[in-house]
Amino acid sequence: MATQPGEVQAALSRRYGAGFVTDIESHSLPPGLGEDTIRALSAIKEEPEWMTEWRLAAYRRWLKMTPPNWAHLKLGAIDFQAISYYSAPKNKPKSLAEVDPKLLETYDKLGVPLHERAKLAGVAVDAVFDSVSVANTARDQLAKVGVIFCSMSEAIREHGDLVRQYLGTVVPQGDNFFAALNSAVFSDGSFVFIPKGVRCPMELSTYFRINAGHTGQFERTLIIAEEASTVSYLEGCTAPMRDENQLHAAVVELVALEKANIKYSTVQNWYPGDENGKGGIYNFVTKRGECRGDDSRITWTQVETGSAITWKYPSCVLRGDRSVGEFHSVALTNNYQQADTGTKMIHIGRDTKSKIVSKGISAGRSQNSYRGLVKVEKGALNARNHTRCDSILIGKKCGSHTFPYMEVKNPTAIVEHEATTSKISDDQLFYCRSRGIGEEDAVSMIVDGFCKQVFRELPMEFAVEAKKLLEVSLEGAIG
Amino acid sequence: MQAAAAARPPGCGPAWLDDARHQALRAFMERGLPDTREELWKYTALRALQQQAYAPCDEDAASRSVADDLLRLDGCAGPRAVFVNGTFRVDLSRLDNLPEGLTLQPLSEAMQRQSEPLRFLLAARADEDEDGLTLLNRALAADGLIVRVADGVRASQPLHVVHVGASAGSAVGWHLRDLIELGEGASLAVVEHHVGDDASGHLANLVRGVTLRANAHLDWTVVQRASRNTTLLRRTDCVLHDHAELDFHALELGGKLARHELRVDLAGARARFASRGAFVLDGRQHADSEVLVTHRGRDTLSDSLWRGVAGDRARGVVHGRILVQPGADGSDGGFYNKNLLLSPTAEIDTRPALEIYADEVKANHGATVGQLDENVLFYLRSRGIPLDTARRMLVRAFCAVTLDGIQPASLREFCETLLAEQLPETEA
Repeated sequence: MATQPGEVQAALSRRYGAGFVTDIESHSLPPGLGEDTIRALSAIKEEPEWMTEWRLAAYRRWLKMTPPNWAHLKLGAIDFQAISYYSAPKNKPKSLAEVDPKLLETYDKLGVPLHERAKLAGVAVDAVFDSVSVANTARDQLAKVGVIFCSMSEAIREHGDLVRQYLGTVVPQGDNFFAALNSAVFSDGSFVFIPKGVRCPMELSTYFRINAGHTGQFERTLIIAEEASTVSYLEGCTAPMRDENQLHAAVVELVALEKANIKYSTVQNWYPGDENGKGGIYNFVTKRGECRGDDSRITWTQVETGSAITWKYPSCVLRGDRSVGEFHSVALTNNYQQADTGTKMIHIGRDTKSKIVSKGISAGRSQNSYRGLVKVEKGALNARNHTRCDSILIGKKCGSHTFPYMEVKNPTAIVEHEATTSKISDDQLFYCRSRGIGEEDAVSMIVDGFCKQVFRELPMEFAVEAKKLLEVSLEGAIG
Repeated sequence: MQAAAAARPPGCGPAWLDDARHQALRAFMERGLPDTREELWKYTALRALQQQAYAPCDEDAASRSVADDLLRLDGCAGPRAVFVNGTFRVDLSRLDNLPEGLTLQPLSEAMQRQSEPLRFLLAARADEDEDGLTLLNRALAADGLIVRVADGVRASQPLHVVHVGASAGSAVGWHLRDLIELGEGASLAVVEHHVGDDASGHLANLVRGVTLRANAHLDWTVVQRASRNTTLLRRTDCVLHDHAELDFHALELGGKLARHELRVDLAGARARFASRGAFVLDGRQHADSEVLVTHRGRDTLSDSLWRGVAGDRARGVVHGRILVQPGADGSDGGFYNKNLLLSPTAEIDTRPALEIYADEVKANHGATVGQLDENVLFYLRSRGIPLDTARRMLVRAFCAVTLDGIQPASLREFCETLLAEQLPETEA
């Protein structure tokens, strides 16, 4: 999949799918990145001075950085000057009739309710489907207990002090190349604040957030859970999202104070490119949670099936004593997709625990890598980690790789890692077929069983959809 | 370091050799020593080397007296080749009664007498994956060992190769290049033995190529008890043809910095590689064991079991990679590594990795880092065994599994004794 820089440029500027109406946008910046662009972006979003400066500081650090090349990914150079760093919602098809029929076909297979399809397909929401009332009800309910759940832009304007206090404290501006880029030009995202002692009354999802329709390609999310609070946050959606941007570089920061519990679930199903590896989203994400207080807990659960390229390592910094970090992942790649994903567990506090369960499925000509670090610092007395990584291969042309790193500096730590890679067992397949189950169904059954451990961690409705999603993603991989 | 390398005129052999050396030296100057940004050197920094000046050779290496006790190794009474500070010593070696079909020649001698047959080795183009040290070795290797076993010959006694680091007044850096070739159906046992009494802090940079033709079998045991001042860097490239087998054992005890990059290419069908290794470190020792296995042939088998123990301020690094190439169906690869951390200032970094490009495969790995089981310790103490003895017993048992297959039995027993002597004082 070696791509020439020119092709990448062409790919980056290409719009996904045909048939969208081109509207003239109200606000948009010409392609290119510089301090002026960032100032302009900040001005459009009516941000305070400190935010503009913060962005500029990130940009100046970004200029000195080089893109990481250590991941097991093949991609051409990305021309960052060819991207437009701000565009207000645009290009919305007016009705479902204008949406790519292939996309609608997928919705059928996934069983997405009719009224939701329009929203997912990016049809201007107010025209077809009344989500505002649902969202408003949710908002009232949250406000009653003091939970703040809004877009990042709104938070910067209305809860500036909170944002200023926490933004960049988990993923600093200069953390890595893509995080620095995001810090400089982030478009929007979610902001969640759960006050002390509150158990969030509902699962929070971008789905319910007003104005969530277009978060743009540089998403920034910040979740703060104060003492003894609990929150579960769902990101993404099982249905493929229509998106016109090729490069995505998101940053997600989680802060868990004493006894707080954050559960962050992701289902990522961005456009993976077609069967020949043309197009598809480049997804470079920095996700990190910090268990800042004692007895806090952060759980990452992800189901990754989309994107042409996934570069994503949701991590936990276990700073508080007795804090717990968990990572559950299913990553499925098909056709020419490439995924390099995993986690980092940094044990700093005493009696910290972490658990990693990773399931990789590669099919077609895809490359699927798990990359994980478990680090036990000197003072992390009695740290405990268990890592389990399993991969299955479907087909002769795909690759599945495991790169775990274990760095242990404390003699009281117990760190364990085990991994297996194999193809779907012929015996299991044969058994299923002998019971009258077709090959494709048998494979998806076995894959479902293989992923069960992770699906169990997902909120129920997500788990049901995730199963279907795997079936759809695996189509054409067998035989 | 680089200055020392540049100052030395690289050899004065035939023109092609000088050319190759100059070329390698230029490549090295461009590339420099490997640094921690390189994946295979992530946990092993060579900064200290850059500040140290090494004499290009030990002028008196040929005449230094070496106690026979130092060279002796139980179970190795047969042929012996001895290098002192990187120079082959015919007077200390025992090469007169070599079995028929086994030929052994020091590289220095081969280069003087008949270098042409070695052209393929010494003037070969550098592979892309060669790091700065290998290039430096290409440029500067002055000696080494060329071992060949003819088709069908089965050498009965192990070949004992001793590398002695002797005190030389100043630190010496030497570069050795070995070649071991086993013909079809041949079999050989090699015992690589590193010893030293030097206080000078030498640098040894060894590069070895091993070729096992169809059905050949090599049994290779490394007993590494180099002096605590020595920097010992080794790279071994093994190619195994159809049905060839390599059994590798390593006991790494000495050295200030001891690294071994063992690359095994299972190129032929049904080739088999098994490795068992252990390192036991204390003080400020640093050991780095890289086991990189590539499955290329069909139905190839690899199985590795490594144990590491680090006490005091030591740092142990283990990297086991299993790479299964497209088409290597039926491959079965395993890498298992367990480590003990005995001190709050010691560190273990372990990385098992799998890279799989074929689907009819089984590949597994496992790695753990932990400490001695308190319950077991308590049990032993309740039976009247003092704490310190109990600890030593457990650490010994922890490592002993890697010594099991060492042949002959007397060598294995000797290794067990060495292990017992090495065990670091644990802190209460």
